[in-house]
Amino acid sequence: MNMHKAIEDVHDAEAELAKRLRMTGERHASESDLYHLGHTLSRRSAEHLQALAPFADRYGAKPAPDDLDTSPGVLETVRRMGAQVIGHSEAAGLVLMADLRELYLAAQHAELAWVVLLQAAKAKRDAELIEVVTHCHEEAEMCGKWLRTRIKEAAPQVYAAG
Amino acid sequence: MTDRISDIWGSRTPYPTGADWPVRTDQYLADGVSEADVTWVQSACVLCSMDCGMDVAVQDGRIVGVRGRATDRVNHGRLGPKGLFGWQANAAADRLTRPLVRRNGNLEPATWDEAMDLVVERSRQVLDSHGPLGMGFYTSGQLFLEDYYTIGLVVRGGIGTPHLDGNTRLCTATSDFALKETFGSDGAPGSLTDFDSCDTLFIVGHNPAETHTVLWARILDRLAGPNPPRMVVVDPRRTKVAGAADVHLPVRSGTNLALLNGILRELIVGGHVDKSFVDAHTVGFDKLAQTVADYDPERVAEICAVPADDIRAAARLIGSAERLVSTCLQGVYQSHQATATACQVNNVNLLRGMIGKPGCTVFQLNGQPTAQNTRETGADGDMVGFRNWQNPDHVADLARIWGVDPLQIPAWSPPTHAMQIFRYAEEGAIRFLWITGTNPAVSLPELHRIRSILSQERLFVVVTDAFLTETARLADVVLPAAMWAEKTGTFTNHDRTVHLSERAIDPPGEARSDMDIFLDYARRLELSNSDGEPLVPWRTPEECFTAFARVTEGRPCDYTGLSYDKLRGGSGIQWPCNADAPDGTERLYTDHVFNTDPDYCEDYGHDLATGAALERKDFVAIGAAGRAVLKAAQYQPAHEPPDDDYPLLFTTGRTAYHWHTRTKTAHAPQLQNAAPEAWVELSPSDADRLGVAEGDVVRVESRRGRIEAKARISGVREGVVFAPFHFGYWDRDSDAPDGRPTAANELTMTVWDPVSKQPQFKGAAVRVERIADGGGVPAPAPTTTASEPVIGKLPPTSGGAGVRETVEQR
Repeated sequence: MNMHKAIEDVHDAEAELAKRLRMTGERHASESDLYHLGHTLSRRSAEHLQALAPFADRYGAKPAPDDLDTSPGVLETVRRMGAQVIGHSEAAGLVLMADLRELYLAAQHAELAWVVLLQAAKAKRDAELIEVVTHCHEEAEMCGKWLRTRIKEAAPQVYAAG
Repeated sequence: MTDRISDIWGSRTPYPTGADWPVRTDQYLADGVSEADVTWVQSACVLCSMDCGMDVAVQDGRIVGVRGRATDRVNHGRLGPKGLFGWQANAAADRLTRPLVRRNGNLEPATWDEAMDLVVERSRQVLDSHGPLGMGFYTSGQLFLEDYYTIGLVVRGGIGTPHLDGNTRLCTATSDFALKETFGSDGAPGSLTDFDSCDTLFIVGHNPAETHTVLWARILDRLAGPNPPRMVVVDPRRTKVAGAADVHLPVRSGTNLALLNGILRELIVGGHVDKSFVDAHTVGFDKLAQTVADYDPERVAEICAVPADDIRAAARLIGSAERLVSTCLQGVYQSHQATATACQVNNVNLLRGMIGKPGCTVFQLNGQPTAQNTRETGADGDMVGFRNWQNPDHVADLARIWGVDPLQIPAWSPPTHAMQIFRYAEEGAIRFLWITGTNPAVSLPELHRIRSILSQERLFVVVTDAFLTETARLADVVLPAAMWAEKTGTFTNHDRTVHLSERAIDPPGEARSDMDIFLDYARRLELSNSDGEPLVPWRTPEECFTAFARVTEGRPCDYTGLSYDKLRGGSGIQWPCNADAPDGTERLYTDHVFNTDPDYCEDYGHDLATGAALERKDFVAIGAAGRAVLKAAQYQPAHEPPDDDYPLLFTTGRTAYHWHTRTKTAHAPQLQNAAPEAWVELSPSDADRLGVAEGDVVRVESRRGRIEAKARISGVREGVVFAPFHFGYWDRDSDAPDGRPTAANELTMTVWDPVSKQPQFKGAAVRVERIADGGGVPAPAPTTTASEPVIGKLPPTSGGAGVRETVEQR
């Protein structure tokens, strides 16, 4: 039985998403919505992992330790200051699009990891796990939809202006 | 004669439940003017979103006074202090009367030809180098329908950029979006007459005693009559409204959603849900019930810092209402999780089945007098006639009427919101920005940033205004605009009442209406339709109105039954007004069929937490199809929680005596003297801890800036600091603080609601320190309003003598 593997995959994917949400927000701090929503959603990912923790124990999963401390470290401060320089230049748009696309893939990756775990939870008839995963999957899916919306709105200005 | 500065709401005319609100005609004429010598011209007030019907008194080509229109359904003859005195701004000595062009760093007088040639030349340059996406337009909530519709056609159909928004983004974007999310389209469901017949009022984040004084007069008359309505009020300040409430919930700023979720939970747990209504006319109940289940009163009390028993008491009042009116405004809209909260206020009425019938409705109110028209004409984040930008049939229909290729109309995304327009200007993506009738250098958040954006060499800024505002001082070209009463046009209030406002006097000097300026711009740019004819086919406001009525045919805001002639005399008329409803429509959704048919709806909706836009297939999957959508969201902590460095929460608002950045009201001596300078409000306990006495000068500082003003110790809740947002720098001949910052937006943060994109003006973390002794002299804040001092009794603010109130005897 590989339930522990499915849980570890979710853990890795959500931790990676949380980190990227925060980093992208820092790197594009002049895009205020990305900065604030990035941090909010990063916290939400951390909550997903907390909700999953009891099941990691139940199925003997040993997720890699993550670093989801939300207080701004030195690196983030540097990134934020860098963002102010990038934020006033005309090249900002291309950098933004590249980062948003990466972030979108991370969100897709996490969403799929939840789908896999949900399927496994159903086959295990684990009602508690099904409930938690259903909720977290919905939110992970919405994170992807948000990024898709944001990318669609940003693209014309970056590629079609001028 | 009454002093309507000290007596803001005028004399009481009590009335019982369900009766007609008595008529009381308010009139003010300048000293020495005799009624026999004036000519009355029909209009309506533009100093809040009530749009009270008024007549303008004209003598020798000048405005000399006003009176309320007794026949008007909105105000039954009454006017508020701003309406009674604000007209004096038209004759101000510092009106702009000639175009100004920046030469060698200075704004210098120029002819219209010189100014417009320059505007057109720069437009062409930017269009050549950057295309339509290099062009941005930021308009107002105070122009007329005809101005907006002309701007909308020129910008969207002609230039073809999505970068057009109104300052309505700061005031009513959340009203608009909350209505779209829940009911499928914009449009207030109810009528102001619902205040006559309700038995319970749920007033959320809204101080009508100062923002909508004539509405508050109506409520006061109910409160003074038999069977007064019970009131639940949510406001961090002890406003006059809060003082009259049965239950006042002074929540900690930024926690509205937790409170609303808590109240919804109590309604569900307490068995106050109208199950047959919810089953038949809504979708989403199970998800909503599941979402709010965790918000028990004890948990909510902890988040919001109000007693759990008060939350229960509020829910009991709302739950036992038979006719419930809920209202919502900036305390919700300009806070964290704005749209999510406003939707929960809709949900309160939907769970109780109280909508679409007398005394039962929800008001997502507006702030500005013509905000509704930016939404109807598509001069903001919407498409004309409440069309859905994601619906290709709607776009094609509009293109057909405009005579342009559907591809010409930017519909690949929603129209760009104001904060994003300024962001594009900041990064150099927008190179041309035309600002009409609004003052972002004072009214947008984080002012040092806005000033630096507008001051960029690479950005060409055109400002159309009646005064040399802080924003105009940063412009490359300034165009003098005609104001209200100097042009003819229409506008619509927050219960869908359309008024006609006739030209009463000539504009000063060479000032022109915004519609005329944009007609000139279109002509000079040679904008044309697919047949090579001029894009904008009208020349007069009336022709424009008729064209607009045509474009609304079959849409929720159907104007086809309205005309200038029909609006002349009598009362304003509520849309939809068409062949089926020739006298207008008092209430929407009386059959409980909502505008959520996927082919008809204005928007497919959003995820409330992230703002992710739903697509048609997502919306179809919800299965609303005529039912209202109960949307749910979890409370999230605010973006900038108080901490050791910045331990207090900052909130901003309006006083009864001023409008926006005071460009109009500071020119009316009665209003200006009532609130002559900035102040800051502290709670008694915070003042005590900080060693601040009434009238001492304090510095309020956030991570983004600081302001300095005299302190008023008021009934604001502990931990919250309030400042009015009116006080910028134009009357110091400056665009910037110059060492003495007073504009509240020096402190606010650049962040907005994920759905409505309305900036969050309320809830920045700040610290306060005392910087000078006030010598025992009280702060220059009004004493007749929410800024009433708690320490000692001061004489009432006064200086508005000479108003005649005539109560019609029945």
